Amino acid sequence: MKRISRRDFLRTAGIGLTSIVAQQFLSACGVRPSEDNPMPTAPNEVNFLQTATPFSPIQDQSTSTSVPTTETPYPYLVVSRGTQPEEMVRQGVKVLGGMERFMKPGADVIIKPNICVPYNSYEYAATTNPWVVGALVKICLEAGAKRVRVMDYPFGGSGEECYRTSGIEEQVTAAGGSMEVMHPIKYVDKQIIGALRLKKVAVYQDILNADLLINVPIAKDHGLARLTLGLKNLMGTIQKREKIHVSFESSLVDLATLVRPQLTIIDAIRTLMANGPTGGSLSDVKIQNTLIISPDIVAADSYATSLFGMTPHHIPYIIKAAERGLGKADLSGLKIQEINANA
Amino acid sequence: MPEPLPVKSKTPRAHSNKWVLVRKLTQTVSLILFILTLLFSRSSGLIPDLVKLPIRLSPLAMFSELLSSKTLLLGSTLSLIVFLSSLVVGRAWCGWLCPLGTILDIFAFSKKKSLKEPMQVLRNIKYGLLFITILSALFGNLTLLFFDPITIFIRSSTMAVLPVIDKMIYSLEKLLIKIPFMAEPVFTFDAWLRPLIFPVESSSYQYALLWGSFFIAIVLLNVVVERFWCRYLCPLGAMLGLPSKLSLVQRRVKSTCAECGVCKNDCPTGTIDSQNNYRSDPSECTMCMNCLEGCQKNSLSFSPKWQPAPFQSYDPNRRLFLSSLGVSVLAVALLSIDWIKKHPKSFFLRPPGVIDNEDFLSKCVRCGVCIKVCPTQALQADANLSGLEGFGTPILIPRIGFCAFSCNACGQHCPVEAIPPLLLAEKRVTKLGHAYIDQNRCLAWSDHLTCIVCEEMCPIPQKAISLESGSFSDLEGRELEVQLPIVDREKCIGCGICENKCPVTGEAAIRVYTL
Repeated sequence: MKRISRRDFLRTAGIGLTSIVAQQFLSACGVRPSEDNPMPTAPNEVNFLQTATPFSPIQDQSTSTSVPTTETPYPYLVVSRGTQPEEMVRQGVKVLGGMERFMKPGADVIIKPNICVPYNSYEYAATTNPWVVGALVKICLEAGAKRVRVMDYPFGGSGEECYRTSGIEEQVTAAGGSMEVMHPIKYVDKQIIGALRLKKVAVYQDILNADLLINVPIAKDHGLARLTLGLKNLMGTIQKREKIHVSFESSLVDLATLVRPQLTIIDAIRTLMANGPTGGSLSDVKIQNTLIISPDIVAADSYATSLFGMTPHHIPYIIKAAERGLGKADLSGLKIQEINANA
Repeated sequence: MPEPLPVKSKTPRAHSNKWVLVRKLTQTVSLILFILTLLFSRSSGLIPDLVKLPIRLSPLAMFSELLSSKTLLLGSTLSLIVFLSSLVVGRAWCGWLCPLGTILDIFAFSKKKSLKEPMQVLRNIKYGLLFITILSALFGNLTLLFFDPITIFIRSSTMAVLPVIDKMIYSLEKLLIKIPFMAEPVFTFDAWLRPLIFPVESSSYQYALLWGSFFIAIVLLNVVVERFWCRYLCPLGAMLGLPSKLSLVQRRVKSTCAECGVCKNDCPTGTIDSQNNYRSDPSECTMCMNCLEGCQKNSLSFSPKWQPAPFQSYDPNRRLFLSSLGVSVLAVALLSIDWIKKHPKSFFLRPPGVIDNEDFLSKCVRCGVCIKVCPTQALQADANLSGLEGFGTPILIPRIGFCAFSCNACGQHCPVEAIPPLLLAEKRVTKLGHAYIDQNRCLAWSDHLTCIVCEEMCPIPQKAISLESGSFSDLEGRELEVQLPIVDREKCIGCGICENKCPVTGEAAIRVYTL
């Protein structure tokens, strides 16, 4: 064992300090991996989905966002009812063209459920149904996904804790997927060109870079948004989300132009009708045994309002998102297929 | 690594001694165990009993706590082992096990004698500190446990050393991910390391500079003379030093001693007296056995023989004891007339479950374990709100971290039950403060903006914050419908997540006030 000499000590301290200074300096000079071109991880595989669904994440940062097309042989939106979550997911996705429509073998998939707090299990309907998430992991892996990660950025406790309490970790791990705690190091600052409010935001880079992003919110009551659905669930992809609450609707729609899930599945198996988004009382939970599945996040949200006895016009952000061309809030004339997924 | 050893100025080793090796090994293992225990002192880490262990080894903290709270905790009897060991092996705790002692050995700067060694009489400072600590404890005051070496170790590591290492690692990672091929390995490393020992977001502590400087100062005192802290200041060293006079095993000098003086230069506590046949004082000797290595004549032994050691000029006497008594009485009296006791400050929040501040102050040993295990850094060491008496005690600062609804770690891990070990269900209904909205600054009330973050975050199942519709007209006379948050006094438990997440810059527009 060598004794630590003063020289060694100073040298080590020097290296540490230099790295901090260098880091600050580089940031000050604007040398960041972040801005428009996050360098790490696999490059986005641009447009391989384009024929099937024009839904790849926006590459050029333009606001002329692609609207989901209605000209496919598949229904625009599927409502899957039943009592077995896995069957509901499987049959619903199948009707929609199967997971193969949204990904090709070897894809890197991220599933974004709502796992907001660590103190209520799934029964309280504050977090997405674990079996729905588990089923999605299975389906993606069966379709040849390279890896499937599940993540959310909770507000009421640590990620690990929330993953555990929600029961999602157990189902995801059993299905062969992995839970990822969203660490600060992986957030990158992104400019949102054409944004009305949210001009710059720190987003989790893997979510932007994923080949397939599946949005799996749980439908529930929310004081500000009135309902938290697919669009609202995107807030889990950014840091400092408290700031978004000021001029909330515009900011949320701005964010939705940047983070573009190719598939949205709204979990309305158990819905939290009051005291959301945290819940904690079973008397606020209503069992609806429904999943709403669509490549169009706005349409899915729009449909989900009916489960709460509302119309999309009650929820301003759905209308604003439709106005910005992110999807369709008006469901009339769209091909909506309802299935009963009881095995 | 603990190698309090050789530098050029020293005499070459005659032979390396196996006891010295054993001692160094023990020190290394002990320090590693202390560090590991601390690192894994987290809500999902070691079992609470292990987290409580380090501070329960300190007879100073445990005995003072016993005197002050007048209640015997079963776990604290563990410290009796350390105390009684001094009757057998003297201050071996200091030389073999104490984490702070080992750290001071690691930072034993060169033993140049250019600086004059402080006077021997300074050695009785530690006895003074010991007496004042214990006598004040008798009067219900534990402020001076701030100087217990184990509390220093836990506190400094928790609020200065570990966060700094965390920050440095994060900065280095941020730098490395700019190199394309390094990004993936760095992310993998981060994803492995952070859940293991660090919080997901690097931690923040108020007065970190203060806690860090105190630790650095103790280390820097080594520049004056080796193990300055242990020789002159450490109250735990003093507590173990007194019974060491009667210790069974002591360093003994045989008549064959050639009085070469080598051992004197090797002694990290400078207790070997050239004026007195190179004998030493067992109250000062840390049983490090360094002296054995240099002795050419084998004239030294650490042998069992019951023979009390003689008193030294600097040993405590009645005069020191009586003046310590005087100081304690006065100091405790002075602290007790602090106005803060009658009128607590506005945002003075204790950890969940603490009801009576006086009772808390007489139990809290200032170890900082609760601060270490708090996952949100809601708990912070105080240097202001509870007055001088509560220096270093935990308070809850919601703007730094909220009291998580899913967590009861502080009570579960408090080694002295100063924070009651509430079950989670109990903690969830335990009030620690009251949230009030400052309507002049609230975005909804004042600026008529849509913002209901506090309501959204409220973890109470039936929401302690409700929303009320209010109508305002803007400058053009248009009607605005705004949702206004209102706090329900009955339901609010003061967890502070609303204050923590309030988007208003600076102080939140909703704040948790003292009950």
